[in-house]
Amino acid sequence: MTTAPERAIEQRDALGEPSDPYPQGQVGRPVLRYGGGDRTSGAQRFVADLRFPGSLQVALVTVPVGCADVLGIDTTAARAVPGVVDVVTAADLPSPMPRFGVSHTDRPVLADGRVNYHGEPVAAVVAKTLDAAQAAARAVRVDHRELPGVYTLDDALAPGAHRVQEPSLRPGHALADTNVLEEAHYAWGDLEAEEARTEVVVEETYTFPMVTHFPIEPGGTVAVPTDSGGLDVYSPVQHPYLLQRTLASVLGLPLNQVRVFAPDPGGGFGGKQNPKLEPLLAFLALRTRRTCRLVLSLEETFQSMRRAGCRIAARTGFTADGALTFHHVDADFLIGAYADVAPRVMGKGSYVAAGPYRIPGVRIDARAVMTNTTPSTAFRGFGSPQVSWALESQLDAGARRLGLDGLEIRRRNLVAKGEAFVRGESAAAADGEWHQSLEKAAELIGWGTPLPPGRGRGIAVGIKPGATSGLSQSLVRLLADGSAIVYAGTSDMGQGARTLWQQIVADELGAPLDQVSVVSGDTGTVPFDLQTSASRSTVFMGSAVLEACRDVRQRVLALYAESTGVPPEELEERPGVLVTPEGELPLPEAARTALGSLRGEFIGQGTRRLRGKGKHPLGGDAAFYEFNATAIEVEVDRETGELLLTRHVTVSDVGTELNPLQVVSQDEGAAIMGLGHSQMEQLLLDEHGRIRNLGALDYRIPTFKDVPVELVSAAVENHDGPGPYGSKGISEGALLCTAGALGAAVADAAGVVIRDLPLTPERVWAAIQAAEAAQ
Amino acid sequence: MTEYHRPTSRADALTALAEGGARARPLVGGTDLLVGLRHHHDVADVLVDLKGVTDLPEPIVVTDDGVRIGPTYTMGELVSHPVIGEWYPALVEAALTVGSVAIRNRASLVGNSCNASPAADTAPPLLVHGARVTISSQDGDRTASLDEFFLGPRRTLCGPGELVTRLDLPRPAPGSASAFRRLTRRRGVDLATVSVAAGVGPDGGLVVGMGAVGPRPLRTAVPGPVDLTDDASLDRALDELLGVATPITDVRGSREYRLATLRVLTKRAVLAAADRRDPREMAS
Repeated sequence: MTTAPERAIEQRDALGEPSDPYPQGQVGRPVLRYGGGDRTSGAQRFVADLRFPGSLQVALVTVPVGCADVLGIDTTAARAVPGVVDVVTAADLPSPMPRFGVSHTDRPVLADGRVNYHGEPVAAVVAKTLDAAQAAARAVRVDHRELPGVYTLDDALAPGAHRVQEPSLRPGHALADTNVLEEAHYAWGDLEAEEARTEVVVEETYTFPMVTHFPIEPGGTVAVPTDSGGLDVYSPVQHPYLLQRTLASVLGLPLNQVRVFAPDPGGGFGGKQNPKLEPLLAFLALRTRRTCRLVLSLEETFQSMRRAGCRIAARTGFTADGALTFHHVDADFLIGAYADVAPRVMGKGSYVAAGPYRIPGVRIDARAVMTNTTPSTAFRGFGSPQVSWALESQLDAGARRLGLDGLEIRRRNLVAKGEAFVRGESAAAADGEWHQSLEKAAELIGWGTPLPPGRGRGIAVGIKPGATSGLSQSLVRLLADGSAIVYAGTSDMGQGARTLWQQIVADELGAPLDQVSVVSGDTGTVPFDLQTSASRSTVFMGSAVLEACRDVRQRVLALYAESTGVPPEELEERPGVLVTPEGELPLPEAARTALGSLRGEFIGQGTRRLRGKGKHPLGGDAAFYEFNATAIEVEVDRETGELLLTRHVTVSDVGTELNPLQVVSQDEGAAIMGLGHSQMEQLLLDEHGRIRNLGALDYRIPTFKDVPVELVSAAVENHDGPGPYGSKGISEGALLCTAGALGAAVADAAGVVIRDLPLTPERVWAAIQAAEAAQ
Repeated sequence: MTEYHRPTSRADALTALAEGGARARPLVGGTDLLVGLRHHHDVADVLVDLKGVTDLPEPIVVTDDGVRIGPTYTMGELVSHPVIGEWYPALVEAALTVGSVAIRNRASLVGNSCNASPAADTAPPLLVHGARVTISSQDGDRTASLDEFFLGPRRTLCGPGELVTRLDLPRPAPGSASAFRRLTRRRGVDLATVSVAAGVGPDGGLVVGMGAVGPRPLRTAVPGPVDLTDDASLDRALDELLGVATPITDVRGSREYRLATLRVLTKRAVLAAADRRDPREMAS
């Protein structure tokens, strides 16, 4: 196996990337967001803003419990509502019910006799107006019998528990008769031997809540039947090509008959990756031969996407010097009623459950446990925030026992660049100078300087594996006047991917920045991109765009040689220029000369492919790791438990900042989002499996007033990533260890250790009360 | 289907409300009503928009004796009114926590009071400052103290066919002052877990208005003087003031936490109000 830095060099060599970054002026500059003006002014059109004259509106019918048998559905009254065109139940769909899913083909298009989570649709009303559709949906009578659903880990794991998934969906699987969907096991070293040389053992259990993505745009789907029997589907998805494939498969259509338009999502965070209600809309459109439109409410979004909750029991050993000796973890991920991508979240998250540390003995046993709840899916961090919360808290517990501080114990255990932090068959080594981020965070928080009473500081680190396989394809057209069009399938949901393609093309082809446009969000015109996920796009699509630019330059060189008679071996192409015997020519000028009076254009193609490894538990080595160090200073109101974050520092190891403004905005956004699950966010269920805080009123996310008094985002740049010019993905780092840093800061300020997130004022107050009562 | 009326006279508004009966709702800012209708928590057949009525009491009238507020006066106007700020500082502090700027620019103080949420932010200071309301119908007017007006969760003295046309706040006695404190789950827009307004009278008597700790906003008082520099006497006063609180456990907080923080916040509000008193006007 190669070490991470070797791999990075190989990958750069494979792309022919010179070691010297920044060819010209635009890459590395804080260029303003492509499309940012429209997004800011409200001119951007989200899926709900698109107009489809004559379209029908869809409303969903649900039952008011989390688990039930559907005994019968009476649609008579609903059909009598004026304007209703159709009321569709499972009986109206193909039999057996079509199912879909990215890791298991388990999710039905409509609930088929059994409701498995609160909010799962059992019928859909199609009507001429939204009011009619909603009134009719309320008029549908669903005769149902509530079942003893399982809503917590303990419920689901109890002997004789209700089984969420029909065992027939996993024939022959050893766990088919349980609520454990999948397990993951990682181990290395000799734990017994390590424990024998251990001075201090810390053994604790931590919980991480179910939280929802809360994109500001709830989203929706519009399905338009085409004259040729296919479908055009509009949905703000992160993976248009996955949606295209899923719909084609469920409907039995060839890919070219399913065209997915993906208007820019208004925030995704992982929640808009995988198909959910789109197959239902597709069936409705084909059945009615009319355009069918469903725009979700925020409440329906809550019932469509969430992060897996988690309970982690950890046993961790330290030498008297604070060196980690062993770490033994049992992690149960509370996933939902259907698999979605949750088993992979469990497997990939638990892969890094021992963190970026040098630990000679590790055992990790993780399970994805199904419950009758909203299917959990990908969410920024992808399993890492859960395991990081437990591990970072364990490190601080060890440090307190040993009389070390949070910085020192991490200094002593953090791996150096190239050093393995996962050992055994599927080892992984540090691909960055991670100590630099830790030291920078400590410096920026003023670690070790005196604090007023009632304040405390905490520091934590986190890692997350990037994509382990991938494929991005891109086309770049250099037009006759020197302007350019990039075709790149990355969904731009606020991260600003298109801005980077613009910057790269401007530098590589010498085009003015404002004359580079980007086409995305249409499977009918834009080449294939596997996904917009795992902070991969800069590395994968960025490399594809770069390669497409090189392809354009080579074509310019060849045609220039042909049309001018200069032998090609006397020409050389470089970023932005063609080098001729007479000197450097700006590329657009060389292109014009080459194209001559017929004009035309150059079309370059680029592909970035990372093949997985069949026997690797993650399906392959991560293309890069996101590493972050976060330090928080907090003031605790001991009488109310309220926290005031006076300073919050996040430092990410970014490789190269292609656009510093966007790096900061992603880093700050992740940090604030991390404060959500650390301080206030949690989905609360009642005994029927219903979300008690369903909606914005009682599910609170941080606002700008909740942002720390000082929020500092900094980066470490060593140009050591596998992406263009040494870049890495950076969009998740700052939320990986927010909770650990905050928990440590609260412990430092108030003398109480809390192991359950979020650290709500009430929880902090209760812990202080308990500590005072014990004194 | 909901009928929408936009009468231009008080008489027409009262007629529309009387004809609509129990399923008619007056509308000003709509910050509670429209949300309720949209989520089907409330059902209305008739909406009577008061914003076009020309002969309702003025939005605000200041006299030597106090302030009269009409149904269309908004929270946004209230928070920037200099007299309100001087005489009823707790009310301004509370109004500034209602929703966001955009919501405050729509929300009516009277309408919000009629919504009668147990957690309404402006209810505690209005109770502390002795607000009275005038309830009008086709049969005439009647008045009640706000404390009498609040009956229970979302229930008031204002019945079908009736409309609150006026809210009166007496001018505070010289040497008195008020302050407001609130606990929420986050610093941004949020509903109160507990809220409290405290008034300290010229004689050192205390009056407290409480939100989110009972089925309706609560008001209690203890006569003066209370020696605020003595912990034991302040504690005794708090025992007496807060005994009526009967908070429940819900998603915003537990009963236990609410009781404990109610005491903390009340103490803070009392001391803050006491600090605001003009020493030259205090009774010796």
